[in-house]
Amino acid sequence: MNRSDRTDDFLKKFKGKIDKVIRKPKRLYFEVRDEDLREIVKYIFHDMGCRLSTATATEVYDAIEVLYQFSHDPSGCYFCPRVRMKDKKNPVMNSITPVVRGAEWIEREMFDFWGVTFRDHPRPERLLAREHPQKLDKPLRFGRIS
Amino acid sequence: MKLNENVNHVPVGPFHPLLEEAEYFNLTVEGETVVDIDMDIGWMHRGHEFISEQKTFTQSIFLVERICGICSTSHPLACVHAFEDVDNTDIPERAAYIRSLVGELERIHSHLLWLGLAGHFIGYDTLWMWSWKYREPVLQMMEIISGNRNHYGMMRIGGVARDVDPDRVKTLRPILDMLDKKLKMIVAAAKDDPVLKSRLKGVGVLTKQDAIEMCATGPTSRASGVPGDVRTDEPNDAYGWLDFKVIVTENGDVWDKLVVRLLEMLESTKICRQCLDKLNTVKGPILNDVKEISAGEGIGRYEAPRGEVFHYVRTDGTNRAIRHKVRAPSYVNIPTYSASCKGIPIADALITLASVDPCYCCTERALRVKGEHPDAIDFLKLSRAKTERIRREIHGH
Repeated sequence: MNRSDRTDDFLKKFKGKIDKVIRKPKRLYFEVRDEDLREIVKYIFHDMGCRLSTATATEVYDAIEVLYQFSHDPSGCYFCPRVRMKDKKNPVMNSITPVVRGAEWIEREMFDFWGVTFRDHPRPERLLAREHPQKLDKPLRFGRIS
Repeated sequence: MKLNENVNHVPVGPFHPLLEEAEYFNLTVEGETVVDIDMDIGWMHRGHEFISEQKTFTQSIFLVERICGICSTSHPLACVHAFEDVDNTDIPERAAYIRSLVGELERIHSHLLWLGLAGHFIGYDTLWMWSWKYREPVLQMMEIISGNRNHYGMMRIGGVARDVDPDRVKTLRPILDMLDKKLKMIVAAAKDDPVLKSRLKGVGVLTKQDAIEMCATGPTSRASGVPGDVRTDEPNDAYGWLDFKVIVTENGDVWDKLVVRLLEMLESTKICRQCLDKLNTVKGPILNDVKEISAGEGIGRYEAPRGEVFHYVRTDGTNRAIRHKVRAPSYVNIPTYSASCKGIPIADALITLASVDPCYCCTERALRVKGEHPDAIDFLKLSRAKTERIRREIHGH
């Protein structure tokens, strides 16, 4: 199966569950609803055999976004599901750590720096600022965009 | 802190010669066996991502070069790949060969550094002295190419900053030939040593399943039979045109991690030789002029000596990124300790922690929790004593 077939099949399989697709050579960025995230990640990780490179939280004007970057190593393609949380003051979403063990640290880091709460995370605590010398009253990277 | 007769907590770090950055490991030990490990990172969080988002694209490349002293080509290379990915910018062929040449030299010097320290930790100081002696010519080659032994400043969006002209190629060639010969000697000596093999075989096993589930990369996962390597998965720069093998072994123990790194060094000299040949014949520019980067997202990665370095940038059409994510390979490899350290004797904990090659920035500092405390454990002494015991068993003296 070539690269574009794989991407087409993926898009067909999850039609109606993914939105705002950006297709570039070897890159597929798309938006998913929080409730569909685990099902899609399960397919990407277990059925397609992708590896989680990392995840990136970004604060934009109207939301906090979390973008997971999954690498399909045999083809060099990236599948990147994005979840947007409109409630910037209390961003909550499902954790993918129960599906992908390798997501534990990066989700803890996003909780630490962006204040994103991950439901069902096995160890919901700070990662990098756990022993921070100052008392942190808000996540370090949150609130840069008004 | 002593819990009861048999269960103790043994702290490693936060300031410790094994660790890439200051990190803290808490080993739970029952008798002489490690039964659990807890990790605490963030002691040297420097805010590179945030700082990079305040810098222009070109400034960011210089900044990320300083994330790690050993991977000071891998980070800028992954960073320029990410910026180039936003607009699918091409680079000149000559620049591609120069990038791969510098990247592979970095791999050799990093693996030699690791090999020396691994040898030292288990009481093989000859291996340590050999590897560090022959790491010197690699740094010399870097100096000839870039003017610096470290932090080379070679990468630019659209190509490289400096050319490797024919005179330099002529100077580099005999150094590479000599290095190749010496590396083959070291590899043969290490691979055929019965004591080294007995000491490391079966120690700190990371199973293939654990490597996949924990998303490990680089030699850490390749030693467990996971064949991923960015150089072949997404062959950027000159890797698509070069002939080399990805080294994969099956057992996942420290011995296999050693073998992967040893054989990778020989593959790297092969790549360097091909790059130097091509630099004699391929003519043309070394840099495409990139004036601006449009709004979008880009993913860049490179196979650093320790595994995949990952950079993600999000741009808005101005001259700086609004989001720059950096993920170094140790970030995904260090959590594998929770699988590989459980159930091993404490004498093997040191070499198992070292086997994923966390950066050794402060060698011989604070490793020994030695001294007045009655529960203090000298890891180095324990590890070296075990090697000595095996040596006596094998050689009988």
